[in-house]
Amino acid sequence: MAFPFLSGLKYTTPNPNCNSRPTLPNKITPDRVKGVERTANEVGRQPALPEETEHKLIAQAQGGDRRAFGELVRCHREGVINVVYRMCGDVNLAEDAAQEAFIRAWKHLPNYRPRSPFRNWVYRIATNAAIDVLRRERETVDVDALPLPNASTGPEAAVQEAERSARVKQAVLELPEASRTVLVLREYEGLSYKEIADTLGIPIGTVMSRLNYARNRLRESLAPCLEDL
Amino acid sequence: MNGHVTPWLAAYHDGELKGRRLRQVEAHLAECAACRAELEELQKLTTLLYESPAAEGLLPAERFVAQVGLQLERRPTKPAWQRTLETGWRLAPAGLVGAWAFVQAVFIVAGVALIVLQVGGIDVLGLSTVSHSETWPTAILDWLGVGFSDTTLSVLKTLDVLAWGLTLYLTATLAIALLYWSWLASLWARHRHQKLQTQTS
Repeated sequence: MAFPFLSGLKYTTPNPNCNSRPTLPNKITPDRVKGVERTANEVGRQPALPEETEHKLIAQAQGGDRRAFGELVRCHREGVINVVYRMCGDVNLAEDAAQEAFIRAWKHLPNYRPRSPFRNWVYRIATNAAIDVLRRERETVDVDALPLPNASTGPEAAVQEAERSARVKQAVLELPEASRTVLVLREYEGLSYKEIADTLGIPIGTVMSRLNYARNRLRESLAPCLEDL
Repeated sequence: MNGHVTPWLAAYHDGELKGRRLRQVEAHLAECAACRAELEELQKLTTLLYESPAAEGLLPAERFVAQVGLQLERRPTKPAWQRTLETGWRLAPAGLVGAWAFVQAVFIVAGVALIVLQVGGIDVLGLSTVSHSETWPTAILDWLGVGFSDTTLSVLKTLDVLAWGLTLYLTATLAIALLYWSWLASLWARHRHQKLQTQTS
C-alpha cells in the first residue's frame, strides 16, 4: 500500500513481507534465504549455500572433516563478522570474536542438530563470543573512546558523515548487551522476530520488548542525527 | 479513527504483521498523522543505522579461514564401537515398540488359541495330567482340607495357568515400559546437557 507520506523519504519499500524496510543504494545486498528477504550492510557477501550442501558439510565436519568446516566458515564468515562488528564496534575485536566464535562452533559441532538453521546457531555463539571479547577488552582498552573514523581528513561532508557514523556506532555500543544483540540481529542481519527468538533462545515477546527498548534509547541519543535526515 | 496503533508500529515496520492486524494498522496510518510521524521516526532510525559503514580492512577470506583452521582442536573421529552404540541408542525406541507389539501378538494369539482348543475338548494345557499339588489354587484347597468336584478342579487348574500367563504378560509389558521411560529420560538429559553447553559457549 502506498502512502503519500512515504513519497518524501529517500528510500522505497522493496519487499511485500517487509512493510517499510528501506533500501539504500550501493550499501545493502539483498540475500534471499527460504523466501525471506534479508538485508545486510555488506557488499559482496558470500552467497548462501544450498540447504542440502550445507547439511552435507555439517555432517562431514561433525565427523572431524576440517576442510568441510572451512567451507562453512567461508560461507558464514561475513555474516558472523558483521554481527560481531556491530556488537563490538571495532574491526580487530570483531575478527577476534568471529574467530573465537568459529572455534567454539567447531568444539560444539557434534552437539548441533539441524532442527534450527546452522546460521542461527553460529550467530548465537558469535553474539556470546562478541560479548566475552568486549568484556575482556574493556578491562584493558577503553573501547568506548574509539577514534572517529576519518574524521580529520577529507571534505566537510565526508567529515560530517564520518562523525555521524561514529556517533551511531557509539550509541549502539552504549546499549545494554541484551538489547544490542537483538537490535543487531534485526537491523543489520534482517532476522525476523521468530528467528531472533530461536537464535537467542528467548520468547518473541522479549525480542519485541528488547528491540523497542533499544530503538527508544537510540531515538533519544541520536535525536540530532535523526533531525538531519 | 480512534485509538493509535503505536504498540504495533515497530512490528509493522519490521514486516511482522499479517492479516487483520496489518490491514488495521494500514487503515489507521492512512488517517492518523501522529502514527505516520512515529513510523517515519522508526524508518529514519533504520536508515541511520544502515548508513553506518560495515567493517572495513578485514582479513581476506582465505586468510581468515586458514587462521581459524590453525586454531581448531583436533577432534578424533568417534571409534566404531561408539558409533554402533550411538546408532543402537537411536534405534532403541523402534526396538521397544517392536518388542511390545510382539508381546501383545503372542499373548493374544496364544490366549485365544488355548481357550478355543481347551473349550473344544483338546487338553493342550495338559490339565488332566497335572496333580493337585502342582497348581497353587488346588494346593491351597488341599492344604485347607476342602474337597472339590472334577469340574471345579478343571476350572482351578485353568485359573492357575492363566494367572501365570497374566503375570508373565504384565512383567514383560512393565519391563518394556520401564526401558522406554529410561530412554526418554536419557534423551531429555542429553538435550539439556547440549543446551547448557551451547549457552555457556
